[in-house]
Amino acid sequence: MADAITEQFSAPLTFNWTLSYRCNFSCSHCYSRDEVGEELPTSDLKRIIDILAGKQVPFINFGGGEPLIRPDLFEIAAYATEKGLNVSMNSNGWLLDLAAAQKLKASGFKSVGVSIDSAEAALHDDFRCMPGSYVKAVAALDALRAVGLRSTMSSVISRINYRHFRELLQLAREHGVHQVYLHNFKCSGRGFKNREELDLSPQEWKDFYVEALAVKAATSDLSISFDDPVISSLPGYEANPLVKGSSCGKLSLHLRPDGDITPCGFIPLVVGNILREDFDKMWYDSPILNAMRSKEAKGKCSGCGAFADCLGGCTARAFATTGDFCEPDPHCWK
Amino acid sequence: MNLQRNPEIVWRIEKRREADVLAAMERGEDVSEHGTVILIANGMMHQLNFVGGRIWALCDGSRSDEELFALLSGEFQVEAAELAADLTEFINDLTNREWLRRG
Ligand code: SF4
Repeated sequence: MADAITEQFSAPLTFNWTLSYRCNFSCSHCYSRDEVGEELPTSDLKRIIDILAGKQVPFINFGGGEPLIRPDLFEIAAYATEKGLNVSMNSNGWLLDLAAAQKLKASGFKSVGVSIDSAEAALHDDFRCMPGSYVKAVAALDALRAVGLRSTMSSVISRINYRHFRELLQLAREHGVHQVYLHNFKCSGRGFKNREELDLSPQEWKDFYVEALAVKAATSDLSISFDDPVISSLPGYEANPLVKGSSCGKLSLHLRPDGDITPCGFIPLVVGNILREDFDKMWYDSPILNAMRSKEAKGKCSGCGAFADCLGGCTARAFATTGDFCEPDPHCWK
Repeated sequence: MNLQRNPEIVWRIEKRREADVLAAMERGEDVSEHGTVILIANGMMHQLNFVGGRIWALCDGSRSDEELFALLSGEFQVEAAELAADLTEFINDLTNREWLRRG
C-alpha cells in the first residue's frame, strides 16, 4: 500500500452532469433554476460518455434540473453502464413512480437520490413551491425500495431545517434510505438571491455541524455525509484521505447541458467544452482548475491551524461572495 | 483457487503517475510510496504502489498463485524469497480486507 494521496489524478472520479436545466419545480434554494442552456441530442451525450469511459472516470451523477425530464435518460444511463461507468442521479421524486423506478433499475443505475428538505410535508412543499411534492418524494423512496434500487436522500441545510435534521434522518430510516447527504447551503443561483432568508450565520453553522457530527458518530444504521471542508477544525471530523479542501476540480467536475465543463455546479466559470476541446489539456492545464488546486491562505485563513485540511473552506462560496477563490469561506466561524 | 478482485471495488490505473514511477525506477529511485492504482472500496479511496498495483491488475481470477509469482519474478528484479514474502503479505492483507477473494 502507498501513503496519502498528494499528487493529481489523471481524471476526475466523478462527473456531476446537468443534462438539462429544465425542471418541473421552482425551489427557493436552486442553483440552476434561472439558468438556460442549449441541450445536446442523445448522440452527443453518448459521445461524452465515450470520452468519460476513455478517461476511466468511474462515476457519473445526473443532476439538474430534473434528470427525469429528459426522455432519453434511461437510454443514456444504460449506455454509460454498458461502458463500465457507475451511474447515479438526484431527483425531486415527482416523476419517480414505480414504473420509472423499474426503468431506472433496468438501465443500470447504482443508486438514486431524492431531495427532501423537511420531514414536515407542508414545509417541504412550501420550500419547493409545489403542493404535493413531499408525498411524491416519499413515494419515490418507497418505489426505489420496492424495486431493490439503492436510495439516498439529499437535504440542503438551511434556516428551514437546521434544527430538525434528526427528523430528516428518521424519515430516511423509515423509507429504507442507505445514505443521507446533508448538503451545505451554496450561495449560487436562487440560493444567492435568497441568501438572507435561507442561509445560517457562521455561529449557527458551527453549532449545526458540532451537533450533526456527534449524531453521525453515534449513528450506525445510516450513512450520513457532509461535503463541507469548513468543518475541518471541528471535533469528530474525519479528514478526507484523498483530497484537502473542496473536492471540485480535484476529484470531481461538472458538466452543463451543452457540454461545457465547470469546476462544480456552483462556480459559473467554464473550463472548456468536452466535445470540442482536448480533455487532458483542460484537466491538467486549465488556469481555473489550477487556481482552485493551489489556493493560498488569505485574510483570517493565514495562520489558521486548520488551513492544511480546510484550505479556506468551500471555494464556490468564497468565489460567489468575494469573486476570489482564496478568500475565507463566508460560513467560517473562526 | 485463483485470486480474484472483489467486483464491487472500483479501480483504475493512474497512467501518468505510472509513467512517472517507471521513469523513477529506471533512475534507481525508491518508488514504494508512490501510488499508481487507485481503488474505491466502501466509499473510501485507497491507492496501491506500482508493485501492489501490478499484482492487483493480475488478480483477474485466471491465474494460480504460482503463475502470479512466475509472472512477477519475470517483471521485477527481486530475490525469489523476498518476492514470495511480499506477495504473501500483500495477498493476506487484501483478502483480509475482502478486496481479493479466492474463487
Ligand atoms: S479561517 Fe480559513 S482555513 Fe481556517 S477554518 Fe476558517 S475558512 Fe478554514
